[in-house]
Amino acid sequence: MSNEQQKQSMSTDEDVIVIQDLNKWYGNFHVLKDINLTVKKGERIVVCGPSGSGKSTMIRCINRLEEFQRGSLVVNGVEMVEDVKNIEAIRKEVGMVFQHFNLFPHLSILENLTLGPIWVQKKPKEEAEAIAMKYLERVKIPDQANKFPGQLSGGQQQRVAIARSLCMSPQIMLFDEPTSALDPEMIKEVLDVMVELAHEGMTMICVTHEMGFAKKVADRVIFMDGGEIVEQNTPHEFFDSPETDRLQLFLSQILQH
Amino acid sequence: MREFKPLPAQPAPLDTVGPIRWMKNNLFPSTMNSIVTILIATFLISVLPGVIDWLFISADWTGTSQDECSKEGACWVFVSAWMQQFIYGSYPDSELWRINISVLLLIAVIAAPYRLPTNLRNKVGLPLFLLFPFICLTILDGRLIGLSYVNTDFWGGFSLNVFLASASIIIAFPLSFLWALGRRSDMPFIKSVCVILIEFFRGVPVLALFFMGSVMLPLFFPEGVNIDKLLRVWIVLILFMSGYMAEVFRGGFQAIPEGQYEAADSLGLSYWQKTLLVIFPQVIKVSMPNILATFVMLFKNTTFLLIIGIFEILSTTQTALSNSNWLGGHASEGYIFVAAVFWVCCFSMSMISNSIERKLDTSHKN
Repeated sequence: MSNEQQKQSMSTDEDVIVIQDLNKWYGNFHVLKDINLTVKKGERIVVCGPSGSGKSTMIRCINRLEEFQRGSLVVNGVEMVEDVKNIEAIRKEVGMVFQHFNLFPHLSILENLTLGPIWVQKKPKEEAEAIAMKYLERVKIPDQANKFPGQLSGGQQQRVAIARSLCMSPQIMLFDEPTSALDPEMIKEVLDVMVELAHEGMTMICVTHEMGFAKKVADRVIFMDGGEIVEQNTPHEFFDSPETDRLQLFLSQILQH
Repeated sequence: MREFKPLPAQPAPLDTVGPIRWMKNNLFPSTMNSIVTILIATFLISVLPGVIDWLFISADWTGTSQDECSKEGACWVFVSAWMQQFIYGSYPDSELWRINISVLLLIAVIAAPYRLPTNLRNKVGLPLFLLFPFICLTILDGRLIGLSYVNTDFWGGFSLNVFLASASIIIAFPLSFLWALGRRSDMPFIKSVCVILIEFFRGVPVLALFFMGSVMLPLFFPEGVNIDKLLRVWIVLILFMSGYMAEVFRGGFQAIPEGQYEAADSLGLSYWQKTLLVIFPQVIKVSMPNILATFVMLFKNTTFLLIIGIFEILSTTQTALSNSNWLGGHASEGYIFVAAVFWVCCFSMSMISNSIERKLDTSHKN
């Protein structure tokens, strides 16, 4: 049994993310409207919705890649305020995986993984490399350590990106459409890693349209449209008995094929 | 089930490979192209032998005065007799080793990133690179380290072109990077200062800047303060170069996908860590061709300094041409020599930058 699982069972009731009345505008365009969301430690949340519904924007607010104009956001007990040190402190707790992997092309895989531990956490190089190899083994590509991102397939790159975030030992992992840019054959290898991570008790918020993944691991599925949270429920209720006509329409569109 | 057996490879048909095919493809693919090929060939055949004859075969190579230039061709005696002036200017004979050492140091600074092991590259190579202008200045000037003092009036020749250009480039490099960062900054004051600096030094002709540096600037100094002319020119070159380079870097910054900044941010890297560890190496890679173009431009622009009376190679050539012992019309030889020297240097810089680009290229697949 891993440490994370033990930690999780001791403090299941802890709220790690509290979002209250969050509002965001791009100029005059109101992108996020009165978002309220509380995430407990170890909870797995899947966010879905049509494009432009604000789901990516919402999770990018959590590690301050996007700023918001009104409302409050508390991550791991730290309130997000307009201050560099505060933002950096929150980012150390929150890992993020992007749609387009965003690996650093000029660094080898190993260097991609050790950059954060060495420079942010001030770990010695040997220790950082040991951690990096541990996580590369977990995502099943330790043999690629000395290659460059350009030499890897999309699925491998995304797994490296997940490992890169994990090397910072974050409390929370955000996934922003991690499989949308992948070939069909590679989606599974990335989802497998994510499922494994979910089973280990990591707190996860995942924007995705992989409904199979949502059914399998999510504690809660959130549906967003027009910048607001329309509906949230357990996967079972969410898919079998949607409360709103909007969600019903959305589900009928994506589940047709 | 049927077993799959790959077919054996066969040699290519004879008429699709080899030199004859190459000529057919590249020189005579169509009537029009054949005519052009023949025209160019005729032109080269009629001109080249004369040029080669003048340059090499009937040229005079040895001697000390122009009386020994008896043949029809070029008088290279002119160049060899003035060689020391062309390269070292009027720097005292007994002190020439100081220039030689500085040149060796410059070569060492350029070669350092290739030869040094990775762990020493940043710790030794980079400081050496940034300190080079000052070390070189100390050696050539001599006062600080107890050597005899050589006034900058005696500095000259091609070595001066090389030192001025390299010293300016080295200082301009970090300076322009800061300007480019400033121009992208969200802070209005820093941003506007950087925009003004960049646009001023990019928008004013370099000759006008040289005149400002040599004629106008001293008017603003208090009585008795006299800043060396060469130093003023050096500062002008640095600022001019920085203006151009800042825009080159800005182009590089814009070529880096937003995701790189976001990934660095999400790891919790600070602004300077993100800029120096993630963004800068990628900016250098995409900007390399433009950085080289700017270097070459600045290097060639150092010849403009003849206008304000600095004895760089071109102005030395003109002095030599008007010398009473050499009034035989050696302008062609002189200028061809200058052109050849610059071409060799610029071409070497191209080769170096190509090899840096190859070194930085990590997108290769295998």
